[in-house]
Amino acid sequence: MSQNKSYFVQSFTIFAVSIAAFLVFKSILPKKLFSESTVNSKNVVIDSLLLEALEEDKNAADGDTLSNQPISFTAVDGITFPDEKFEDYKGFQHLIQFYEKLFQLETKHQGNVRIAYFGDSMTDGDMIVQDFRANFQNKFGGQGVGFVNITSESAASRNSIKHEFSGNWKTQSYLNVKKPRSPFGVNGHVFFANDTSNVEWVKYKASNLPNLSELYNPTLFYGKSNNRSGKIAFKVGNDTVYKKLSPNKLVNTLVLGNTTKNLKLDFIKADSIPVYGLNFDDGKGVHVDNFSNRGNSGLPISTFNTQVMRQFHEKLGYDLIVLHYGTNVLNYGSLNYTWYEKRMKNVVNHLKECFPGVAILIVSTADKATKYDMDMKTDSAVVPLTKAQKKYAIQSGAGYVNLYTLMGGDGSMVKWVEEVPASANKDYTHFNYRGAKKISSMIYNQVYGGYEQFKRLRANRKQPKPVEKTTDSISVKTDSVHVE
Amino acid sequence: MQDWFAQNIASLFTSINAETVQNWFVYNPKEPILFNTGLFLGLFLVFYSIYIALKNTFYPRLVYVILFSLFFYYKSSGVFFLLLVGSSIVDYNLGNLVHRTQSVLNKKLCLAFSIVLNLSFLGYFKYTNFIIDTYNSVAGGHFEFQKIILPVGISFYTFQSISYIIEIYRKEIEPTKNYVDYLFFVSFFPQLVAGPIVRAKDFLPQIYQKLNVTKEDINRAFLLIIGGLIKKTVISDYISINFVDRVFDAPSAYTAFENLMASYGYAIQIYCDFSGYSDMAIGVALLLGFKLPTNFRTPYQSASITEFWRRWHISLSTWLKDFLYISVGGNRNGTFAGFLFPALFFFGLIVWGITQSPISNIPLIVAVGATVLFALTCLLSKEKERTLFTNVNLMTTMLLGGLWHGASLRFIIWGALHGMALAVHKIIMEFFPSKKDAKPSFLGTVWLVVSVLLTFHFVTFCWIFFRAKDFTTALELINNIGKVTFDWEQWKIVGQGYKNVFLLMAIGFAWHYLPEKLVEKMQGIFKALPIILKAILLGLVYWLVYATASAGPQPFIYFQF
Repeated sequence: MSQNKSYFVQSFTIFAVSIAAFLVFKSILPKKLFSESTVNSKNVVIDSLLLEALEEDKNAADGDTLSNQPISFTAVDGITFPDEKFEDYKGFQHLIQFYEKLFQLETKHQGNVRIAYFGDSMTDGDMIVQDFRANFQNKFGGQGVGFVNITSESAASRNSIKHEFSGNWKTQSYLNVKKPRSPFGVNGHVFFANDTSNVEWVKYKASNLPNLSELYNPTLFYGKSNNRSGKIAFKVGNDTVYKKLSPNKLVNTLVLGNTTKNLKLDFIKADSIPVYGLNFDDGKGVHVDNFSNRGNSGLPISTFNTQVMRQFHEKLGYDLIVLHYGTNVLNYGSLNYTWYEKRMKNVVNHLKECFPGVAILIVSTADKATKYDMDMKTDSAVVPLTKAQKKYAIQSGAGYVNLYTLMGGDGSMVKWVEEVPASANKDYTHFNYRGAKKISSMIYNQVYGGYEQFKRLRANRKQPKPVEKTTDSISVKTDSVHVE
Repeated sequence: MQDWFAQNIASLFTSINAETVQNWFVYNPKEPILFNTGLFLGLFLVFYSIYIALKNTFYPRLVYVILFSLFFYYKSSGVFFLLLVGSSIVDYNLGNLVHRTQSVLNKKLCLAFSIVLNLSFLGYFKYTNFIIDTYNSVAGGHFEFQKIILPVGISFYTFQSISYIIEIYRKEIEPTKNYVDYLFFVSFFPQLVAGPIVRAKDFLPQIYQKLNVTKEDINRAFLLIIGGLIKKTVISDYISINFVDRVFDAPSAYTAFENLMASYGYAIQIYCDFSGYSDMAIGVALLLGFKLPTNFRTPYQSASITEFWRRWHISLSTWLKDFLYISVGGNRNGTFAGFLFPALFFFGLIVWGITQSPISNIPLIVAVGATVLFALTCLLSKEKERTLFTNVNLMTTMLLGGLWHGASLRFIIWGALHGMALAVHKIIMEFFPSKKDAKPSFLGTVWLVVSVLLTFHFVTFCWIFFRAKDFTTALELINNIGKVTFDWEQWKIVGQGYKNVFLLMAIGFAWHYLPEKLVEKMQGIFKALPIILKAILLGLVYWLVYATASAGPQPFIYFQF
């Protein structure tokens, strides 16, 4: 009997003492069992320019003069959007030329509009962008997935086009190569068919999604080389068609037959010819190219070769460039983003030089959660980064979408992960298909809201100027991929 | 020393304010109470001291435990504790009714009424939206989903209530002497929300016994708690958030090797999660002087799928065997209910195959193949009729058992795969019976290893359907695993990237496959330790739990090869 009691008391004692022991251990042993170490390996995708920039600008001062003043705009085509406050800056003013093109398309069914959407793993596998594209194409017309790479790390997860390629392509990416053998294409990559013993191939199959159900007017983009004997082969019906590559200019195009559902290209004796990718579009309406790249901070865009980009611009005619970055800049401990702000301002200016007349839209980082003590909370770097992104948007004359506030601000990522059904993944960083759709609608709705406001302002402007002359002449004149 | 005390101990108390105290006692849907939380530890310590004081009383102790259990359930599921109380009143009276009714027919009717009532409760909370979804997609309806919150543990206590009534019907037990005793059985907090499913005939006698714990019980309890904490919190939670969840969220964003490792990872994760939590429950109950049945016996050591089901979630599989499998006919009778579900399943499978055939022939081939295979397991047998009943009833059990885990097609597929495998294993055993008293030989050992590996891989394969958020994702993951090539260099680099995760996985598997003798030896060392060292060891385990849980999610890694 007393024996029995003592065992109860014994187990109670063990519990009580164990709690005391825990308190002692907690104070003397490390707080975390596993450090959040990162691996250094050539196989881990890391943006080399980002690392360099971090190294250089460790101690830059954080000068803030922008956030107190109201932001006012100068008229474009006689249209001036009202002044904005720093807190809710959207910068629609800087999208006027893009809006004008949309307006011509909507009212006169003339011209076409092209958007380049640059991003990181957030837009991997055409996430977010496919919904963004669908929104535009449903409203303004247009068919086709736009520009697609030759090889892609995320081809398998892409639903908007089925994309396969042989393993022997030589790929160079602006993410980790500073001096490519030939300049990078507009997708930040260049591909070579240098394996002479085996044929390199690439295969595309249209999806069943609305507006993307065919490979419209497939057109190959490739660069300059001394190799004059390169050919490509593809099948039309039962016949194999051979086409010679003539790599004379910095950027060359080759139309590959008619609109089709499937396309497989073999590259024959094409070594040293820089290949960039294929474009699929029907020539009318809106087209959106997804240039996503895991691990990208946005800084690699500064390595774009101006001459090459201008030739891309001549052929494709971009009206809007979206820069959707930030996820990869969050994890570096510092909350001072002056270094990033400065460099991204240069990136935006460089893009304006490469693509004259293009409008630029900065999409901020989304919310991301990190564990503090035992709870998942918004990462302390998110707000400073969105601010830095807003600053370079203002300074370089670009539109701005604050995804963090659109998502719901503080703690929103935790909600998106925990809600049923979930909208974001358990890494508290990336969205799933459901979340990506929501995000893209948020971006689209803001851009479209600006367009509606633009239409009202346009109708009320005092002296309507002839618009056709002032818009970017380059894109209008030579939007001619499919004319060749 | 004074500083240290001020920083670490005094701060514990100075940081307490009205709000934190309120948080201890008010339900927060975001933080349901779990055994592996500091809050439970604190509450339990206070609860336990009073429990010991009440040890020699009967009703005060029972009522005290009931109140704590209801509070515990309120902390996990909010106002639904009222549902628990309400359904227990109904079930207690139904139990008495079944017991008192004399005529066989009326007894049967009472029993049927109780089971239907209990299952409709479970069905309403768990399957309403699943039925709406199925109806909408099959018949093209447009019913809206209902906003139904699933009360925590409802599947477990519904099963316990059913077992109570059926056992009364089968005259295996007498009804409890009064309602308090019954509520104590149903609400007993250690197994309330996540099992093991305690059988009335095992538990009720313990209520009336004199409360007693032995030295052996205490040692076993602490070993179970320590093991459970490590399995659940250190291994399972860490690999799930830092690796497995990510890959299952978007399989194609990862390399083939990562897909493969994620499926192994999930196999050890789900084992450590379920068995770890069960072990803690058994351990806590043991400290209170109650013995709950063992729920997991290193199931991945099984050499066949039949053996697996004797070692995995034992309390559930025996429940299903006794009350579902036997009820639909067992291995002797064929009943309408026994044939209904397998028939529906195979019919649905073939219809699905036909609807998919314009796109691909593979679904139809799989559907017909599965049906033929299942038919063959009965036709090839010498005792055709008996095997047919056994297999069909087993299939019913596995299909419904699958559905019990969650309202989704994926769980039905998972159950069906296991049902098929059990049937296939039975027919193989009929053709190649294993020799019971074979001497240990080299070939025998090799065969044993091969069988264990085969069983483990089959189970792991089935888990993919259990875990993936939909059927497409499951197939995507399987497809990606198909692309794995042996590339040691690549594996090494991935391994470096996930070194913590893979280390924990390795520990999990190594622990699982440790020889029993070695485990017993280690347990022997623990038992021999003085009380103070046991306590310190337990404190160290808390720290391990704390330090693992406070590590943030590992940063994202993308590999490129």
